[in-house]
Parts: sequence; structure tokens; C-alpha cells
Amino acid sequence: MHLKRPVGPILAFLAVLATPLAAQNGSIRGQVVDSVTQQGLGGATVELVFRSTGLTVQPGRQIMTDAEGRFTMSDVVPGAVTVKATRIGYGPQQHEVNVTAGGTADARFVLAPQASVLEPVVVTGYGSQRREAITGSVSTVDGNVANVGVKTNAVQLLEGRAAGVNIIQNSGEPGSGAQVLIRGGSSLSATNEPLYVIDGVPINNVPTEPQSAGVVGDPSLPRNPLNLINPGDISSITVLKDASATAIYGSRASNGVVLIETKRGNASSGPTFEYDGYVSTSSPARRLEVLNGAEYRAFVTDQVAAWRTDSTAFCGRHPTCAADTSVHYPDSAAAFDGLQPSHLGTLGTANTNWADAISRSSVTHNHNLSFAGGTEATRYRASLNYANQKGVTLSSGLERIQGRLSATHSDLNNRLRMELNVTTSRVNNTYLTYENNGGFEGGVFENVATFNPTQPITVTDSTGTRFYEVGGTTIRNPVALADQIINIGQTTRTLANGTVSLDLTPGLTAKVTVGFDLSGGQRQEYYPLSNPVGQAVGGGMARQSDLENQTQTVQTVLNYQRQLGNNTLDFVGGYEYSKFHKDSVIAQGIGFFTDAFSFNNLNAATTRTNLSGASDARLASFFGRANVGFNDRFYVTGVLRYDGSSRFAEGNKWAAFPGISGSWHLSQESFMQSGPFSDLRVRLGWGLQGNPSVDPYTSLITLAGNTGAAYPWGDQAHGGVLATSNGNPDLKWEQTSQIDGAVDFSIMNNRISGTVEYFHKNTKDLLLTIDVPQPALNSTQLKNVGRLSGHGFEVTLDALAISRPSLRWRAGLVFAAERTKVEDLGGSSFISTGFISGQGQSNAVSQRIMPGQPIGTFFGPAFLGVDASGKQVFACTSATAGCVNGQTTLGRGTAEADYRILGNANPDFTLGFHSEITWNRFDVSFLVRAAVGQDVFNNTALVYSTKGNALQDKNFLRPAISDPIGIHEPAIFSSLWVEDASFVRLQNITVGYDLNLPVLTRSARSARLYVSADNLILLTGYSGLDPEVFTTNGLATRGLDYLTYPRPRTITGGMRLLF
Amino acid sequence: MKRLSVTKSLGAAGLATLLLLPVQACTDLSENPPSLITSETFFHNEAEVLAGLAGVYAQLRSTAPEGGIYDANEVSTDEVVVPIRGQDWIDGGQWIDLHNHTWTPGSAAARAFFNGAWNSAYTGVARANLFVSAVENATVPNKARYVAEGRALRAFYYYILMDMFGGVPIVTTTEVGANPRSTRRELFDFIEGELIAARDSGLPATWGAADNGRFTKGGTDAILANMYLNAGIFTKDGAGAGGINAAAYNSCSGVTVSGGQDACAAAIAASDRLLNSGNYQLADSFPQNFRFDNFKSPENIFVVKFIAGDGLGMNLTMAALHYCQYAPLTPWNGFATLAQTFYAFDPTDQRRKVILSGPQSDVLTGQPATVRVSGACPATWTPATSLVFTDSIRDIGLATEGEGPRIYKWPADPAHVSQNSGNDFAWFRLGEIYLIKAEALNEQTPGSAAALALLNTLRNRNGHPVAPALAGPITRDLIIKERLFELFGEQKRRQDLIRFGQYTGRTDAASGMVGGKQASAAHYILMAIPQTQMDANPLLTQNPGY
Repeated sequence: MHLKRPVGPILAFLAVLATPLAAQNGSIRGQVVDSVTQQGLGGATVELVFRSTGLTVQPGRQIMTDAEGRFTMSDVVPGAVTVKATRIGYGPQQHEVNVTAGGTADARFVLAPQASVLEPVVVTGYGSQRREAITGSVSTVDGNVANVGVKTNAVQLLEGRAAGVNIIQNSGEPGSGAQVLIRGGSSLSATNEPLYVIDGVPINNVPTEPQSAGVVGDPSLPRNPLNLINPGDISSITVLKDASATAIYGSRASNGVVLIETKRGNASSGPTFEYDGYVSTSSPARRLEVLNGAEYRAFVTDQVAAWRTDSTAFCGRHPTCAADTSVHYPDSAAAFDGLQPSHLGTLGTANTNWADAISRSSVTHNHNLSFAGGTEATRYRASLNYANQKGVTLSSGLERIQGRLSATHSDLNNRLRMELNVTTSRVNNTYLTYENNGGFEGGVFENVATFNPTQPITVTDSTGTRFYEVGGTTIRNPVALADQIINIGQTTRTLANGTVSLDLTPGLTAKVTVGFDLSGGQRQEYYPLSNPVGQAVGGGMARQSDLENQTQTVQTVLNYQRQLGNNTLDFVGGYEYSKFHKDSVIAQGIGFFTDAFSFNNLNAATTRTNLSGASDARLASFFGRANVGFNDRFYVTGVLRYDGSSRFAEGNKWAAFPGISGSWHLSQESFMQSGPFSDLRVRLGWGLQGNPSVDPYTSLITLAGNTGAAYPWGDQAHGGVLATSNGNPDLKWEQTSQIDGAVDFSIMNNRISGTVEYFHKNTKDLLLTIDVPQPALNSTQLKNVGRLSGHGFEVTLDALAISRPSLRWRAGLVFAAERTKVEDLGGSSFISTGFISGQGQSNAVSQRIMPGQPIGTFFGPAFLGVDASGKQVFACTSATAGCVNGQTTLGRGTAEADYRILGNANPDFTLGFHSEITWNRFDVSFLVRAAVGQDVFNNTALVYSTKGNALQDKNFLRPAISDPIGIHEPAIFSSLWVEDASFVRLQNITVGYDLNLPVLTRSARSARLYVSADNLILLTGYSGLDPEVFTTNGLATRGLDYLTYPRPRTITGGMRLLF
Repeated sequence: MKRLSVTKSLGAAGLATLLLLPVQACTDLSENPPSLITSETFFHNEAEVLAGLAGVYAQLRSTAPEGGIYDANEVSTDEVVVPIRGQDWIDGGQWIDLHNHTWTPGSAAARAFFNGAWNSAYTGVARANLFVSAVENATVPNKARYVAEGRALRAFYYYILMDMFGGVPIVTTTEVGANPRSTRRELFDFIEGELIAARDSGLPATWGAADNGRFTKGGTDAILANMYLNAGIFTKDGAGAGGINAAAYNSCSGVTVSGGQDACAAAIAASDRLLNSGNYQLADSFPQNFRFDNFKSPENIFVVKFIAGDGLGMNLTMAALHYCQYAPLTPWNGFATLAQTFYAFDPTDQRRKVILSGPQSDVLTGQPATVRVSGACPATWTPATSLVFTDSIRDIGLATEGEGPRIYKWPADPAHVSQNSGNDFAWFRLGEIYLIKAEALNEQTPGSAAALALLNTLRNRNGHPVAPALAGPITRDLIIKERLFELFGEQKRRQDLIRFGQYTGRTDAASGMVGGKQASAAHYILMAIPQTQMDANPLLTQNPGY
């Protein structure tokens, strides 16, 4: 490209400058200790700052202390040097020492514990920065602190620990995906997922396993692609929240960036061997409360009695009516209330609690083995993980085998550094057939709610024992569904990256990173003949699908750091190129004469279908970041990224994303020295980010042959072609601009520290699939229309409440309040969304996206009560037909004009509170999360907390039995079903004990036992299974609860041994 | 030292090379889809042209049961009602909204049915536009015939839009963009011109068996005959003074169409071209027009073709039948008809048999059908579980499983593939042409004996009568009734009720015949333009009254 020409000669010139440095150096040795306990601090970083002689900072000249806190740094250029020691959880300290040629200088550091547990050096994208130089909004979570309880993926480590990062697990299913919203999200139809960067390489976070066939309801949601990373390998997660920090990732950064750093080997503490493992047991925290067998029998019996009573008048006219219902009378139409006597025939004698029948107490175990070590020049860490998580519902689970190797090597006096990280994982998923949304037909959870509780799970007769089925194709034994339908997936994913960096001249470093991400996912399904689902499809259905994703990334980065007097300069510039490829194949067979083949022999099927597809995309970027520090008081960062994506239309493929931010370290000023602040800083930033999540080829008019285009003239189907997309030659990036202002402070000698932050953002050119003026080949088109805005307030507080030799108590609080608003929909007055699931709810919607309102606004009829005849009464205006005294019932028709806003799915604020107490050898930590003010539409209750289910011999949820709504009244969405879903959850509590057994002290460096509980307490007024809900049912839908996989309550016992 | 410095230089040079390599790879961001094609690379030979044509025809399926067009045309009349049955069929209130004429541009019925109808018909237009412009620029055999076929199909899709919405934007290019509405008269003239041009520039009079179902000259004449009969409606933009009369008959008489002809005369002329062509005749058996093998019916003029194949079949059967009368499928137990419509038929009229009422049996096996027990259909029938369709629906908001007579005009295909039956749907068959000619004659000469003779020919069906002969004298009332008996369920009722000034009238007469609606305002004669379409195209104006 046009930048190629200038870059080449500069690099060649720099290569010539790469000359060796002089020899005959000295060394520094010493110890780092805790100011409270006076014990050595292992894992502290000691680095050279060289300030006093004005020499340039020598990147990489840092060393970790060993377990006793000791260090020796050799090969130091002689002179008066400043040495600084830092460690997570402690305030830094620095000393000036005089290094002589061939001599050894001593340095001792006494570090005071401080409130916040923060890494002194923060990964910020294409490099790292000292914390004090950071001018953007960045949250860091320590992997070891957050990795408690059962965590299957990296995202779970962030829950409740980073302000403004809201994470909702899709469900309680093992390995389920999660919705991650950083600062409320900034998009309607494009993704709201942040960009994930693992060890510096951006990850293409797309599903790695093919979708299920979805024979019953919609197919299950994909599992989390991040399951490939073992949380035990994560050293830290950094979240870049504001635009000035994320702008370095440009087009992919509008939803924030999550930087995941993995653990590396450490030479100074010698070789280590670690075992970390746990066993846990889980059970569903709540279950669907359905009528039991006795209650259902009593209900049906009562309703049949009511039918006879109410039908007296009719039967008076036709005396044979009760005896012979086959006779057709002109006035027999629904002359009956209650249930016909035939329903008595459906009652069995069993008492089956179907919610219990599909639930189980499950055991999860997880084992990590790692060893690490090396020399000053070569370090390594290798780890192996085995995890086996069984779901709390039958036939669901996840098994992971993962290996990881990380090695670093330095040469040429530490001027050449190489790093290699390879992770390979195999995840075996077992899926339960259940519904995320959908209509008439149901999977496991719908049938738990509706299957007749007076019938047994299995029946035994002369032909043997088999599952009890009613014979209907839409009502199925849920245990049989879970047991008989085979739905499994396997993903093998390898993530590899290699980095070479070379110090070209003092301060100037060049780095090349090559990354590969290869995943192959497979789905295998079989719907057997022996199950009604398999029968209904046409005699058994088998399906095998494959999905392969490849991402290749190359980065070249130049980094220049220089100290000029009291001023610092840090420049990063580079180029990145990523290539994405996807292949998919589906083969399906329907019609088997036996279940013996399962999914292994599609040839045996009478009808076979094959599908395949492929797509490519590329992304090329140039970026630069300059960070200038003035006198250790002012820092200014400027960022510019220039991104080109193949997914956009010609002429719109390239865009620039700038960011600028600054900070003022007020506490360094003389006028602040006497104040209450031990540290005080203000920050301000602005930036522009993009969202490129557009499917490839969306800008082109494309034709495809498919069944929809075939036509049978002459009674033979003729293959046809139709346009799959209108194309949009103007398609471009969705852009978000964001302003962020913050104050970072510490008081009481860093015992309390915190950040108060405010942001405001605007998204324009929203990527939105909207209706186009007809005639058009496709009724909709992806266009850049509309605007969203958001603003919010975040507070992070950390306190070191107690710090004594035997007792230390650290506590932290994160608070966030966000408001997003739709500003403009490009001409549309509103977009209906939030499709309602369940029988009889086709095309029914619960939400509207409207200018002036937030995303997730519930809209519908307002429920007033129930009239004497059991009909639901809704509010109306007098102008509407059938509206009497501002009230109407469905028979008259509720009119759209009477609909109103019923609620908002976004919380007023969210809270996370975590605390870690160490008392002698005991430690206790807990995490509490809360969200206040959000509404949830209980779609499960709408369609299953309805007596009318009994008309079709379906069970229902217990609350319906006492409500006054009539048995013939259908399920109508209204304000009745929109509930406040505020909650407080004790997410995790862990108690640990540091073993000091004689047998261990001889060999093990440390040994810890712990017991942990997840989801132990949930306080909420919400009547459904869980107030935290996730849905994909319509554009930008939030807050719909429909038959989710129940969240487990988990008790874990674990052990960590370090040798 | 020397060795070290060589290593260093090599390392530096290697790194510099590495830095340069990727920069060269980035220049190309153009897209080349591996599993899709673009229109520039297509329509180069006759096989590809036929594939394009199949796509234009394929959109016809959306105009037949089941789709937004059929639902809007039928459920908004007294022919079909979809009552709420317990937990089923509330569907956001869309069926009640449609049946009761309470829709607004953004209400449930508009979202589900009108928007679907608008998009379905216009997608057909867009596919035809792409096809016609591509073929006009291609060098293929039979080019004129392909272009004529594309234009005739496009005219039919516009005919549907004109019928439902009035004047709509007329676009014949492939460009997507906002265009203003035409008047209904302009659209009428455009469709008329296109049909005549297609007829006279290449459409064949008949096709061989291998092409059964493709557009013929007869197809264009049938649409024209229907348009001329409705000219009193189709040339006016709305109800009110000088426009459509919502409460009285709207005659073709006095409306001038192409060539300065009176519309009634034009309707008779178009009908005569069909009746005298020798290509069509009444089927001896009325049901032959609707069975799975109805492609053989000599009455078919323009049909939507269906075959028993996945995604290619008709499934109206599923919408109407009870769960337990079409084993092993589970139909949806929805569509019913109104008691007053059912009783409007003479019990001796064979054509009433297309409505199911009373005790029921499985439509394929003939075994007595049952109601559902425990959500399933019991294996054995007993009097207590007998399935009975009542003649009426007490409350369409609270109906039971067995309430209401059912429309069963297109019987299930014994060779059905899942829900897909092979019955074709005739948009125009010769039976209607008899009725069109009779009605136009009666407009020219009220009480016309020739008109009565046409109705009685239709009833007699080549000596296989479906109903006793009418005594006469012929009246408009006799004609609309005959149209109901003959064309029940065939998407003609809405047109007929509007033409006869009865569409917005009250249908829940006081006789205990329930399930109907209150009188609605005159503006409901035209469907509302859906709000989503108003939003998408700022140049659209809403129909008056909404």
C-alpha cells in the first residue's frame, strides 16, 4: 500500500543501527519485603529507571524476585541508577544506587500494602504501559483473585469485578455463551460483543461449532468460543472501556476491548510445579413450579364438575347431550364452561415431578497441572488442563482437554527476545434439546412445564420397559427427549502465536507477531425412531455438520521509548493484517429403518440433504500511539488507526479512528502535597471507534439457487435462482464517538483508592437491517441509518480496611449506572422486536425500539384486572371500538393505539462488592453482585402460568391455579407479565486454608485447601427461575425470560499445591 | 565477538524482512464470494434463463394459501374466521384484528398480513424486473416469449397490489429507491397495457404437458376480464364521493377502458375470447378443480403450481383441519367459516361439501376422528371422544377445539410429503369466466336471460349438475350468491363484497349466527399501507381514512 514505501527504507536504516553495546558492567542485588510482616515478597518486579544520569530507559531490564523476595540483576551499565520495585497490591518504592564496573550494589525495598490490587504495568494494546502513564479508562482483573468457584471461561472472571462491564451468562448450561456489555453496548443489530485479544492477538470470536438442526423449537445457542482458554492459565484480564483507550483497535473496538494475558514462566523463583484442582457438586438453584399429580387431578376433576353444571341449560334442550357427544346440535357451540368429561380419561395414577425427573446433582472436576521455570535467558511454562462439567439437567455437559506451552528466550544481551505461545484444546459438548424461543412444539423444558404429571416416566408391559408417551407429536416425555435424542459437538481449536522483538537502538524496539487460530467444530445429531420427535420428522433423522474457521494475523510493531530529562516519550506504530476463512458442510439423512446406525451411517437414510458454504474476509490496519509525559505530572496520549475491511463496499473500505486523552497527576503538584490525597489524578479523553460486524458480501447483489426459487411447471420441480441480497454499495462502518472523564484518587496512604468516571457516547451510521422501498429483490437491506446515545457513571472503590501481620482485609466495590437511548432510526417510527415465544404467540411482540427510549423497552397493553367472567381487562382509550369506561377485553380486540410503555429491561444501576480477608492461615473471600431497577418479561409465565393449558391436557405452573383468569382465556402479553427483576446475588464465597503440614513443608512451597460456593443466595422479587436473562429473540432484544436452562448452585472443594 | 556480530546482523536483516513481508499482502480488499454468484455472471444461456424464470414463478406461491395475501383476502371477509382456541391462535391478536376490521397501519394484522402481502407481491415484481432486463440484454432463443412471460407475471403481481392497496409505485427497473404512488387508474392502465402487450408479443395459447402451468394468452385475458368487471373499483382511489361506493353496487358500466371500450363490454369480450378459444371447458366434476391431480382440469386458466415436495406444496389443509383428522400429521385446527356463510349454501348444493361440519373422520383413511386426549389422538374412537365440528362459534375470542365448520376445498394429497400437497391453486378457472360474463351482461341488460343461462350452464357442468337450475329472473343478489357457492375460498370474496357494497357491512346478523363483525368504516375497502413500508419509502402516502 501507499505506506509501504516509506516504511521499507526506515527499517533498513534502523537495521544498520543495530550495533552491539559495550561490556564491563556491574550488578545489583537485594530483597523486597512486606512493610507489615517484614517477610520477603516473591513475585515483585524490580526494574531499572536510570533517571539520574539521563540515560534512556532500557526496556526489558526488569527482574522478578524469588520466593524469599531476593533478586540479583547482572549486566547493569555503571553509574547512578534508580531502581524501582513494584508488586501487585503494594505501593511502589524506588532507590538510587551506584553501580560500579564489575561491582555489586545492594538495594532493599520495603513495600506497603495498598488498597487496590493492580498490576504496575498494564497491557494496553500492542504493548504495555506503566499504570501512571495511562490516560484512558482501563480496568484490570487479576486472574488468580477472580478464578474461584467453577469457571469455564475467561469472561466469567470479569463478573462483578470491573465497573461498567455487565456479563449475563446465557443460561446455566455448562459452557454456555455469555452476553458481555461494556458500557451498555453501542449497537442495535451489529454485535455488542467486545473484541477479545489473547496475548496480543485479536481473536475472531465466532461460534466454533455448527448449529443444531433445531427440530424442536429453535436450536440451542452456541457454546462460548472462549471455552478454549483455561481460566487457570490466565494471569490478568484488562478491559479497555473508553474510546481513547480502545481506538488503537479501531474498527473492532466500539464495544470495548478485553485483553487476556496468560501466565508465563518465571526464572527467578526456580522451577516450579503446580497442581490446582477441584471437585464440585451442583444442583439447580430453582426449578419450574408445576402442579404435582394430585393437584392436577384435583384441578381437572373440579373443572369437569363445572362443565356439567354450566351445561345444564344446553343439556335441558338436548337431553342426550351428556350421554352422546357425537350428536351435532346447531347451538352446541361452546355452550360449556370448564372441561369436557373426556379429560378425566387423561388422568393417570402416577405422581411425576418432571422438573425433578430431568434434574440431577452433578459433579464437576477440574485439574490443572503446570510447570514453569528456566534461566534468565530462557523461560517456559507448560500446562495441562482436564475439566469435566456435567450439567444439572440430564444429557448436558462439557469436557475439555487443553494443553498450553509458553516459552520465551532472549539473546544478544537481552536485545533479541522471542516468545512462543501455543494452546490446543479439545472441547466435547453434550447438548440437551431445549428451546431458547419458539412456538408450538417444545423441547425438554416446555414439556417439563406441560407434560401430564399424573403419568409415569416409563411403563412396563409385555413388550418391555419403555418411556411413557401420550402419542402426540407436540407433547413429549421430557425425560425421553433428554435421554433418546443424541446431540453432541466437538471442537478442536489451536491458538498459536510467535513474537520476535529486537532492540534496534536504545529505546527503539521492533516486534513481529504471527498468530494462527484454527478451529474445527463438528456437530452430530440423531433423532431416533423410538422418540416422537424422530417419528414426526419422518422416521428418524441423522445429521453431521462441520464448521472450520481459520484466522491468520500478522503484526509488526515499532516501539520507541525515550526519557528526556523529566519527560518521557513512548511511541508505538505498526501494521496488522488478518485473514478470516470459514467453511461449513452439513449432511443430513431422514428415514431410517432402525436406530442402530445413530448418526454414523447417513447412507441408510431414504432422503438425504447436503449443504455447504464458504466465506472469506480480510482486515488490514495501520496504527500509531504516542504517549508523552511531562515532568511526571501531565500525560497526553494520541492514537490513530487506519482500518480497511473487505466486508464493506468499494470506496468505503477504509476509515480512520483517532483518539486523544490526557491526565494530570494533581498529587505531584506542590499545592496538593498537604491535602488528604496520597494520590490524585484527573483524566479526560475522546475517541472514535468502529463496529465492522457485517457478514462478508453484504455490499454485493448476490444470487443463489435454493428451494425457494424452484418452481414445478409440468409438475417437475425446476431449479431456480433468486437474489439473496439487495446489496448496499454504500455500506460502511458503524461509528461510535466517546468522551470520558475520570478522577483517580487514593487517600490515607493508599489505604483507600478509587476511580470516579463519567462517559458519554454517540453511535452514528448504525448498521441496521431495515425495510427498503419496494420493489426490491429482498424486502430488507443492511444500511447505515440511525443514531444511539449513551452515558454513564462508574465508581470503583478499593480499601485495605485492615493490615496487620496476622489479619488483612481488602474490599472492593464497583458501581455502574448507564443510560442508552435510541436517537434516530433513519425514518422508521419504531421497530417491533422481542418476539414472544410459545403456543399461540406467532408474530406477537413485546418490545419496541423507539426514538427517545432505551433499547429493551417493553410495549403492549396495560393489564387492569380480571372481570367477573374470568376475562382479562386492559386499559383503553374511549376512541377505540369496544372500549367501555377505559376498559376492554380481548373479545372486543385490544387496539394498538392503547398500547403503552410497560417497562425497561436495563437496570438503573449495577453493583459488585468483593472482599478478601486473610487471617493467619485462613482466607475468606466473597463476591456479591446486584442489579436494581430492570424489568423482565416473564414469557415462561405468560404461556405456562395459564390454566387454559388444561384444555389441551397440558400441565401449568402452580401460581395459575389461584389466579382469577378463566380457563378459556388465552395467554395475552400485557403489563401483568412484565416484572421487576432487581436482585442481589451472593455470586461466590470461598474459604481457604494454607496447609503447614510437616510432610508438605519439606517438598511443597505452598499448599492451599479451599471450599467455595457459587450462587448460594439470590434475593429477588422476580417470580421466574432467575432474574438474569438472555435472549436472542428479535433485534436487540433484552430482558425476555423463556424456559432457560436453570442456573446451578455449586459447592466446590479444591486444592492447590505448588512445588 | 565476530561470530556474535554476524548473528546480530543476520537477525536484524531477518527481522527487517519479516517487517516488510506482511505489508505487501494487504493491498487487495476486494470480495469474491466462493459460494454465491452475481447477476453479471448469470443469464448467459437458456438453462440459466429458465432458472431465473423459475425464480419469478416461485414467488407465485406467496399469493396462494398460505401467505399474507390469502389470509388478508379471506379472513377479512365472512368466508374465513380464525377464532382463538384456548392457548392457540391468539398470535398477538392478528387474526381478530383482521377479521374485525380494526387494523391500523402499525397494528398486528398490518404487520403480519399487509406487510407480508406488500413484500410478497413486490418481490415478484422485483424478480420479474431483474429477469426482464437481463433477458432483454441476453442472446438466447425464444427471447420474445421469455420477455412476454416476465411482463405478464409482473403485471399479475401488480394486479394483486392494485386490488389490495390501490395505486402503488410503478417500477420496471432494477434500481432500489423511493418512488411515489401512482393513482389506481394509472396502475390499472399500466397492468392492462402490459397484459395486452404480453399476450400479443409472444405468449403461446397453450403449453405442452411438460410446461403445464406457465403463462398463456388465456391467462392474460382472464386477468383482464376480472379487471374489467371490477373497473368500477379498480379505477378509484378510495371510498366516498365520486369514488367507491361502500354501501351499494359498483358497476363496470360507464367506466372506459383501453380502446375507449366500456368496461362491461370489455369484460364480455375478454370472457368470450376464453369461452370461444376451444382451449378450456368446464370440468365434469366440480371437485376435479381442487384435487391433488387438478393439473388435469380443463378449467384451469392461470394457476399457482404445487407438487408434493418439500417447500413446493400447498398446505392450507393444515390450517383448517383438526389435529386428529390427517394422520400422521398434526394439522393446526385454525381456519373455520362463519355459520351464516355455511347456512347461505343450499343444503342440496353439492358445492357445500367443501365445508366440513358435524361428526368428522380422518380425511385420508375415512376412519372416525376423535378429539385430542392428553394432547394426542387416541388410537380408538369412542362416542365420548368423537370429533364434531359445530356449525357456529359462540365467541371467536374463546372457542373450543371443535367449534366452527371448516373449509376443505383442496383435499389432502394421498402422496403428500409432510405438509406439502400437490393441489394447484387456480387464480383463474373457466367457472369464474361464466360468472364474469353473466354479471357484465346483467349490468348491460338487468335481468338478462343470457346471464341466467350462463349460471345454469355452470350449475349443470356438462350434465353433471352441482345444484338445481335457477329459475330466475337473474338479479345481482343471485350473482353474488352464485359466486360464493362456486368460488368459496378462492380469494374472490373480498373483491365481490367490495363490488357489491357489502365488505364493510355487519356480518354478525342477529339470527344467532355469530363469529362475524360489526359494520366497519368505508376506508377499510383498501388495506392500510403498512407502517414499515411508509417508513421505508418517505414518498408513500397513506390510503385515506387511516
